[in-house]
Amino acid sequence: MSEIEFEIDGKLVFANQGDSIISIADREGIDVPRFCYHKKLSVAANCRMCLVDVEGVPKAQPACSTPVANGMKIHTRNDKAKSAQKAVMEFLLINHPLDCPICDQGGECELQDVAMEYGTDVSKFNLGKRIVADKGIGALIQTDMTRCIHCTRCVRFGAEVAGIVEMGGTGRGEGVKIEPFLTEGIQSELSGNMIDVCPVGALTSKPFRYEARTWQMNAVETIARHDLIGSNIYTQTYRGKVKRVVARDNELVNETWISDRDRFSYEGLNHESRALHPKIKKNNKWQEASWEVALDFAISGLKKNAQNPNQLGVLASKNSTLEEYYLMQKLARSFGSENIDYRLDKADLSIGSSMLSNISLSEMESIDHALIVNSYLRLEQPMINHRIRKATLNGASVNTINNKKFDFNYRTNLEVLSSPQKTVLMLQSVLKSLHDKTKTPAPKHLSKITVDDSQNKIADDLITAERPVIVIGEHVNSNISSSDIMNIISEIATLANAKIANLSHSGNSLSAEKVGFKPSNKGKNATSMLSENTKAFLLMDVDLNYDFINPKLAADTFNKDDVFVVSLNSFEDEASQINSDVILPLASFYESSGTHINFDGIAQSFSASVKGPGDSKPGWKIIKVLADLFEFKGFEYTDSTQVADDALAITSIGNNDIVDKNTKAIDDSKIAIHWQYSPYAVDGVTRKAKSLQETPIGKMNAAFISLVTAKELKLSGGDLFHGVPVSINETVADGCVFVHTYQSRKG
Amino acid sequence: MGTPFSKLLELAGGLKEGRTLKAVIPGGSSTPLLSADTAMNMTMDYDSIANAGSMLGAGSVIIMDDTTCMVKTLTRLAHFYYDESCGQCTPCREGTGWLYRVLQRILDGNGKNEDLDLLVSVGEKISGNTICALGDAAATPVESFIRHFRHEFEYYIKHGRSIVESEHHLIEEEAIV
Ligand code: SF4
Ligand code: SF4
Ligand code: FES
Repeated sequence: MSEIEFEIDGKLVFANQGDSIISIADREGIDVPRFCYHKKLSVAANCRMCLVDVEGVPKAQPACSTPVANGMKIHTRNDKAKSAQKAVMEFLLINHPLDCPICDQGGECELQDVAMEYGTDVSKFNLGKRIVADKGIGALIQTDMTRCIHCTRCVRFGAEVAGIVEMGGTGRGEGVKIEPFLTEGIQSELSGNMIDVCPVGALTSKPFRYEARTWQMNAVETIARHDLIGSNIYTQTYRGKVKRVVARDNELVNETWISDRDRFSYEGLNHESRALHPKIKKNNKWQEASWEVALDFAISGLKKNAQNPNQLGVLASKNSTLEEYYLMQKLARSFGSENIDYRLDKADLSIGSSMLSNISLSEMESIDHALIVNSYLRLEQPMINHRIRKATLNGASVNTINNKKFDFNYRTNLEVLSSPQKTVLMLQSVLKSLHDKTKTPAPKHLSKITVDDSQNKIADDLITAERPVIVIGEHVNSNISSSDIMNIISEIATLANAKIANLSHSGNSLSAEKVGFKPSNKGKNATSMLSENTKAFLLMDVDLNYDFINPKLAADTFNKDDVFVVSLNSFEDEASQINSDVILPLASFYESSGTHINFDGIAQSFSASVKGPGDSKPGWKIIKVLADLFEFKGFEYTDSTQVADDALAITSIGNNDIVDKNTKAIDDSKIAIHWQYSPYAVDGVTRKAKSLQETPIGKMNAAFISLVTAKELKLSGGDLFHGVPVSINETVADGCVFVHTYQSRKG
Repeated sequence: MGTPFSKLLELAGGLKEGRTLKAVIPGGSSTPLLSADTAMNMTMDYDSIANAGSMLGAGSVIIMDDTTCMVKTLTRLAHFYYDESCGQCTPCREGTGWLYRVLQRILDGNGKNEDLDLLVSVGEKISGNTICALGDAAATPVESFIRHFRHEFEYYIKHGRSIVESEHHLIEEEAIV
C-alpha cells in the first residue's frame, strides 16, 4: 500500500491507494453529505449527494466512489461542489412527502439534517408527488416507502451482510420501487439493521412506532446479553421505560450490527407477567409482602429446610450477570453448600463438558475452513455466524455435522447428517481418518471404527486448511455424551491443528464459568440436586417451564411439601406460583448494573438504563441482603462495581481439564429427541417480547422427523409430538426427532 | 463525413414543397439544436458541428421545417428521456419527470412564464451530476430549444396553443377569403 498525498479543502492529507475521498474526509472530520454511502456496505454512488469538486475534472465527482490520487486537489464546499450538492438535494425532496411531523425518523433523519444545510426554504416543485403503496414486511419493521430515497442501503445490507436478499429494486425510472420480494415478511435474524442503515423514515422500528421522539429520550450505553457476543447497544429510554434499542459501534465486538433478538427483546420488559412485589406462600395461599417480611420468610424457610448445608441447592439461568453469579455462589459456599449450577439444560454434566474456545472473534473472520458440529449457528449466535460468513466471502469453506440440515446464509460444502446418538461414532470416524492421513498411530479403541467417504472428506478439509476452526454448538447440550463429543473434538483439533469455538455456551454463561458457578467435586450438579435429597432451593432467574432439561423432574421436586423454594424472578407465572414458596421480584435486563463476559473473554460492564418496575430490585442487592441476613462475612458491598472487581479477580475455580477419556456406551436403538428453542425463546425477556414472537423465526414450531423414524414412532405429518406439529422431512437424520419450537420442553 | 449539411439535405430528398427549414439537431436528440442558418453553413464533421455549437453525436440528423411546433417536439423528447431513465441515480430519476411534466403542463395550456426559467434550471441541475450520460442527454435539448425558440414557448403559454398552428391557420383562412 503506497502513501498518497493530496489536498482536501486546502488541507494536506495522506491516504492509501484505493481509499475513497469520503473515507478520508470522514477521517479528517470534513463533513460530506451522503445517503447511499455506508462504511460497511459496497459503494453504489447512486444518490449523488456527495458530489465534490476535483480540480481539473469538469464534472463534480462523487466522493464515495472516487479514489484519491496523488496531487489531487479536492473542494468539498466551493461553489461547484455546493451547487451540485444543492441540486441533488432539491431532486431528492421534490417527490419526498416531507411529513416529518408524523414521521418516526424526525429528529434523527439524515435527509432532514442534510436538507437543513443544503435545501432551500421554498420548493419550486408544484406538481403532485409520488406515492408508493406499502406491502408490509412483518412485525419488526414499519415501512413507509413513499419516503424512500432509493439509496439501496437496505438492499445492499441484505445481499452483503444478512446474506438473504429480501428487499430489492423493481421497476425503472421514476417508478423504481424498493420493496420486499416475499410477502410473508422478513426472514433474516439481522433484519432490524435495515432500520439503522435506512437514512430516512422509510424503514423504522414497528414496535417503537409513535412511542416517543428521539430528542425526548435518554440514550444509555449498555450491553445486550442474549448471546456470547455482548453486542454494544444504546437503550433509549423515556419516562423510565426502555423504548427502543439501537446498535452502538464496536469494531471488536459487534462492528455496526446487532441481532433482532438484541434489538427487539426489550418489549418483554413491559410484559404483564412481571413480578412487581415480593410474595410469600402461607398455608398454600399467596400473599404480597414487604421486602422485609419476604426476606425474613425466605431466610427462615431456607434455614429450617436445609439444616445440613448439603441440603441447599442454588440454581441460576444463563442470563444472570457476573455479579449475580459471583454473589450467589459465594452465598452458597458461605452456607457450606457446593450444590451450585447454571447448566440446567445439559444432559451430561460430567467434568470436561465445558471445553474452552481458543479462537477470537476477529480470527473467526479470517479462517479458511470451518467444521460446524451440532449447531444452527445463524440463529443461535448470529454475530459469530456473521464472522464466518465474512470468511466464506473470502473463500473459506464450511462443512457441517448436524442432526438436521439448516439454512445457512452462506454456502456449505458438505452437510453430513448424524443423529445425536451417532455423533460420537461419526466424530470417531473423522478422528480415525485423521490418524490415517497424518500417519499417527490411532488409539486402540478406534481400531474397530470404520470410515466412509464423507468422513474422509471432512478430515481432508480440516488438514488441508491453513486456519481451520471446529465450531461446536448448542445442540450438544441435550446429548448425554457431550463430554465424549468434546473430548473427541479436542483430539481432532489437535491432529488437524484446528482451533475450537465452543458455542454450546450462550447468554452470559461464560460469567458463570468464570466465577465457578458449578459444583466442585463434593457438590451436586443441577440434575443430582433435583433427584437427590435437596430440601431448599435458591433460584436465580430460573424459568421452571423452559430452563430444565427435565422440567417434570424439576416441577416434581420443587412441588414437594418438604422442599422450600425461594425464587428471584422477573416474571411470575403459573409454574412459579405452584412450585415456589417465595417470589422476590428481580430487576431484569437493562434494569440492573452488571457485567457480561463475551466469547473473547472481554468483560463488558454496564449500568442500569432504567429502574425495575414496582418493587423489583437488582439481583446483586437482593443476594447481598440475603447474605447479610444470614450474617455471612464478605458481603460488605455498596456498589456493584466492587462485586465485579472481586469476581474478575478470581482465577479459574472450575476444573475444565478433560479427565475421562473412555467414551460411554450409548444405546443407539432408542430414538433421540433434541428439543431446540427458537432463538426468540431462549430467555424469559425474549419469550415475552411480542413482536419477535410474531416473526417467522419466532413462530417456529415443528418436530422434524424422517420418514423412517416417523414410521417407527407411528407418526404422520400434522400429528402432534409433545404438542408440536410433526413435519416429515428428509433433511433430518434417521433415529431422532429435531424439535424446533418456541414451546417449552416436554419431550 | 465532411459533406455540407445543405448537400445532405438535398440527398435526403430536400424539404417538402413550400416549406422552409426551421431547425436541425445534427447528432441525435441528445445534442443541441441548431438554427436553420447555422445548419446550412456547416459541414457534417466533428469540428464544424462543434463550431456551430452542437455535436455529431450519434449522427442521426433530425430536421424540422416551419410546420414543426417546438413546444410539442421538446415535450416529446422530454417524455422519451423520462421514459428511458433507469431510475438509479437521483438527478435523472427525479429530474426527467419534472422536465416532462412542466412541458406537458404548458402543452395543456396551463403553463406560466416562470416555467421556462424553471425548465432551464432543472436541466442545469441534472447536467453533469448523474451516473451515466442519459441525464446530460435529457437536459441538453431543453436548454437549446428554449434558447432558440423562447418566443414559441412564450406564445404557447400566453395563448394556450402553438404559434405554428396559428400561423398556418391564418394562411389557410386567407386562402379561403
Ligand atoms: S424521512 Fe426525514 S425528511 Fe422524510 S418525512 Fe421523515 S423525518 Fe421528514
Ligand atoms: S428503504 Fe431506506 S435504505 Fe432502503 S433504499 Fe429506501 S431509503 Fe434507502
Ligand atoms: S454517497 Fe456518494 S453517491 Fe451517494
